[in-house]
Amino acid sequence: MTRSIIQTNNLNFNFGNFKALDSINLSVPEGSIYGFLGPNGAGKTTTIRILLDLFHSKPGQVKLFGKDILQNKVELLGKVGALIENPSIYRHLTGRQNLEVIRRMIGAPKSRIDEVLKIVRLMDNADKKAKNYSLGMCQRLGLASALLNDPDLIILDEPTNGLDPSGIIEMRELIISLNKDYGKTIFLSSHILSEIEKMATDVAIIDQGRIMYEGKLDVLRSNDPTHFLEIKVENTQKAIEVIKELNYTISEQNSKTITLPVINKADISKINKALVQNDIEVYQLKSTEETLEAIFLNLTKKLDQ
Amino acid sequence: MNIALQLRRGISAEAYKYKKTFTFWLLILAPAFVPIINFIILWQRGPQVVKEGMNAWSTLIGFSIDPANFLFPFFIMMVALLVNNIEYSSNTWKLIYAQPLSRLSLYLSKIKVFIFMIFISLMLFGSFTILVGLSMRLVQPDLGFEESFSFSFQYALMIKIFLGTLGMASIQFFVSQQSKNLILPLGIGIAGVISFMIAMQGWEHAPYHPYGYAILATGGVRQEGFEVWADMTSVYKSLVVAAIVFTASGIIQAKKRII
Repeated sequence: MTRSIIQTNNLNFNFGNFKALDSINLSVPEGSIYGFLGPNGAGKTTTIRILLDLFHSKPGQVKLFGKDILQNKVELLGKVGALIENPSIYRHLTGRQNLEVIRRMIGAPKSRIDEVLKIVRLMDNADKKAKNYSLGMCQRLGLASALLNDPDLIILDEPTNGLDPSGIIEMRELIISLNKDYGKTIFLSSHILSEIEKMATDVAIIDQGRIMYEGKLDVLRSNDPTHFLEIKVENTQKAIEVIKELNYTISEQNSKTITLPVINKADISKINKALVQNDIEVYQLKSTEETLEAIFLNLTKKLDQ
Repeated sequence: MNIALQLRRGISAEAYKYKKTFTFWLLILAPAFVPIINFIILWQRGPQVVKEGMNAWSTLIGFSIDPANFLFPFFIMMVALLVNNIEYSSNTWKLIYAQPLSRLSLYLSKIKVFIFMIFISLMLFGSFTILVGLSMRLVQPDLGFEESFSFSFQYALMIKIFLGTLGMASIQFFVSQQSKNLILPLGIGIAGVISFMIAMQGWEHAPYHPYGYAILATGGVRQEGFEVWADMTSVYKSLVVAAIVFTASGIIQAKKRII
């Protein structure tokens, strides 16, 4: 068995009376791209802040590289690079100067700055002021500073958030290359399912502070035959009310169609029957291939857009 | 990694980030403000200001210390605000606290740079004031600046002001570090200065007010026979306040949830 780079043990965390994390057990295998998936507000960023000891855990709850983060913070964070939520950038400095601030903190050699700039493809804009950077460049600069100490583990919180499609593709290629070519273990949080699906080898799904699933991505797909049902009806509004009464979650709706995740054929006939009984004209019932999105919505029972 | 190395790295990074910032220019230009005004006054109106029988250097020191005593607390407020707000506005608290340095060394790095900034500015202020006096030898040779002047007295005075200021500086640093809000630290600072000025009108406990230690420490500077190191009570009070506030805010910072 490969060893766990990140291990959390019944991790709980409260904001006052609000239970943000409830018995979180994560085990991130060495060499994986680990997707940490959940709607906004599910506890992803809180978990990441705890992994980095920005929020303190209790003894024994968080281990990185097999050691407790509380007692070995300086040593362990030396092996971790992190990009947390929105970019942390001194806007009055150039990209290169931003990296220099961090380089001085970790004591990396000066040559490392050019190396990481090359990895994130920011060489040409390195001497521009960061206030003139696009969001994509800011994210890449953030990633560059996470790479400065040549970490074994890279923690990325929503790295594609706010990027345009080409920025997303670029970031994705970078992440995959860091994993494949440089052998880094990557812990990646996102609320965008298709992103995780394209990169991750392992996933954990978190909702309302609880882990709904943890394991291999392939296993999740084959275990859970969830797929989407696309319905076309005459009166969409009324149909939505009927479907909601049956306790299904609607993932998409417009004036003509309703889309929702279902598990089996019985669900489809149940919905159809209910619609007909409520005098709604049904024009079309179409079920699509199972996707991670359907699984996800089923597990989290809510839509996060 | 030992704490000394961590501290060295922390300070080096901390100092670097003020490159080409407003803070950097504030540290150099603010101490020049009062000396420049004094230069113009002495140059244009020298004979009216330095009357017969007055010591030119003592007059200049008095002219420098009085407005400085009033302006310096505001300068401290701004520096405390700037060194902390640079992290709030760049969203970088989480970046620096996720680096492999202990919270203690990160906290101390910031304080050391903050205190160093205050010190440097005061030394610049002292030096600029001396420069004004020396330049009068050229532009207003009759004012009496030919007389010898003890530079060490001037720098000792600056060090005393520096020590007397640490108390209020620690309070301003603490509030600015804990609050993302810009107005709150300024509000507390201005209230501190004004309440001291009111209290000084006759309240017996006014000498305990932390925003007044530096003023009280240099209170007798215009009087004959003033000795810098004679009355140190205000300085001691200031150091005690600084020690308590810096320690308490360090403990709070160590436990804080960094967002």
